[in-house]
Amino acid sequence: MRPGSLSAACAAVLRRDLLLAWRRRGDIALPVLYALIVTTLFPFALGPNDDLLARVAGGVVLVTVLLAMLLAFDALFRPDLEDGSLEQLMLAPQPLALMLGMKILAHWLSTALPLIVIAPMLASMLHLPAHANAVLILALLVATPLLSLLGAVLVALTAGTRRSGMLLALMLLPLCVPVVIFAAGAVSAAQQGLPWIAPIAWLGAALALLLILAPLACAAALRIAVDA
Amino acid sequence: MKWIPLWMHRLSSPPTFYRFATVMRPWFMALAVILTAVGLYGGLVTAPADYQQGDAFRIIYIHVPSAEMSLFVYGVMAAAGFIAVVWRLKLAESVAMQSAPIGAAFTFITLVTGSLWGYPTWGTWWTWDARLTSELVLLFLYLGVIGLYHAFEDRRQGARAASFLVLVGVINLPIVHYSVKWWNTLHQGTTVRLFGASKIEGDMLWPLLVMMGAVHLYWAASLCGRVRTDLLSLESGKQWVRDLAQREGR
Amino acid sequence: MDAFLHMGGYAAYVWPAYAVFFLVLLIDFLAPNLRRRRLLRELHARMQRQKARDARKAARRTPSDPHDPTSTPLDS
Repeated sequence: MRPGSLSAACAAVLRRDLLLAWRRRGDIALPVLYALIVTTLFPFALGPNDDLLARVAGGVVLVTVLLAMLLAFDALFRPDLEDGSLEQLMLAPQPLALMLGMKILAHWLSTALPLIVIAPMLASMLHLPAHANAVLILALLVATPLLSLLGAVLVALTAGTRRSGMLLALMLLPLCVPVVIFAAGAVSAAQQGLPWIAPIAWLGAALALLLILAPLACAAALRIAVDA
Repeated sequence: MKWIPLWMHRLSSPPTFYRFATVMRPWFMALAVILTAVGLYGGLVTAPADYQQGDAFRIIYIHVPSAEMSLFVYGVMAAAGFIAVVWRLKLAESVAMQSAPIGAAFTFITLVTGSLWGYPTWGTWWTWDARLTSELVLLFLYLGVIGLYHAFEDRRQGARAASFLVLVGVINLPIVHYSVKWWNTLHQGTTVRLFGASKIEGDMLWPLLVMMGAVHLYWAASLCGRVRTDLLSLESGKQWVRDLAQREGR
Repeated sequence: MDAFLHMGGYAAYVWPAYAVFFLVLLIDFLAPNLRRRRLLRELHARMQRQKARDARKAARRTPSDPHDPTSTPLDS
């Protein structure tokens, strides 16, 4: 890889973000811990009825993962915005959309992937049957990148503002409704022994579309919101 | 036909639009009030009671126009938002941002009147039907736009960012509608039809059309008032606003 | 008239719906009016203060010292 070339720049951004995430390992553990706590609370609230828990397990795990990701979204651009490296990235000759795509990938690897790893454990704590558990993992593998991409656009829009926690949740809710419906729909279909491939395929189609569009939208949003 | 773009160009200057809005607003409102009086007389007095729903159906004369307005205002907001994002026109930014509270008001009215209508006729004030859920999501979209706009310190930057969110929402709204529809058939929930099998009759129909005209006129009046006020605060350093304050500010 | 207000037994649903409709739209219509009045009044007050300040400055400057170091040509 020639230094300064597109692939070298992508690799550099990815390596930098992953390295930063690794240096702050505690921050990676935080969403995981949050998901664990929330999932533990549900049986206390609903009662230790195994059938009931098994019925809601898929939805509970999905929503918990979504909320845990929402918690981590603020760290996507804020540190870079504060130390000025985001502006360097915006001034760089490489296309901003691609660089942001790499940042989103690094963020997904450091926040969503650990959540997917513990998701089967959370689901089996709630007695989700094993065959539905496999579908849950598949649904999460498609749905979490979608959420990361959608969230990145909104985080970019709020990048120029000071407070954004509750606002981000309010803005993300309309966008994540279809994702939650299809992901949870696949899991519940698998639980009832129905074919579950169609909702996953829809999510996959949306992911393919957003992989291209979301970084571009994210770059446009960032240029609006951070414009001096 | 060159006068049309020329007129549009002139109108997009804030002082001209301010004068235009000041002149037009009372007319729009007066017409809206007259049409509302006629429409509600027709709807509440002369229209016969529905043979299935009795008099409860009379909520239709505010519910359906509000529901239609909640989408119409979003459409206008999206068009203005597109102009604001692409061409950064000050008036378009103002129109887009001042549309949001009006749209939120109509969406809120739609949800409340729908609940009040649903309770006696369906037996429940809320159901996870595609239309109701989309309307609720629409309310969240409006609130998100308003929230994002006010989160920025620079008003124009906030307007552009929120306009971008409006454009994202335009793509999202149909997706939400159809995914909820799919979800509802999957869950086999209580299937409620918003409109029964009965076709709406002429005596019931004309007041509805009049009311629809009335809310559109009301929207024009409200938008004029809001944009006019917004332009004043956006341009508060300019000479035309200072002159106005000199005349009317005591 | 009584039958009209009774709404075939649905008065408890029909009239609140209409009340919400008119109340929300009335607030929506009047809010910018109030905000406009406030904006203009504040701006007017600010302009008056500015004028008073300028007048004071001018009054102080002319009789005493023609070479007032605080005065610049832009000030007047």
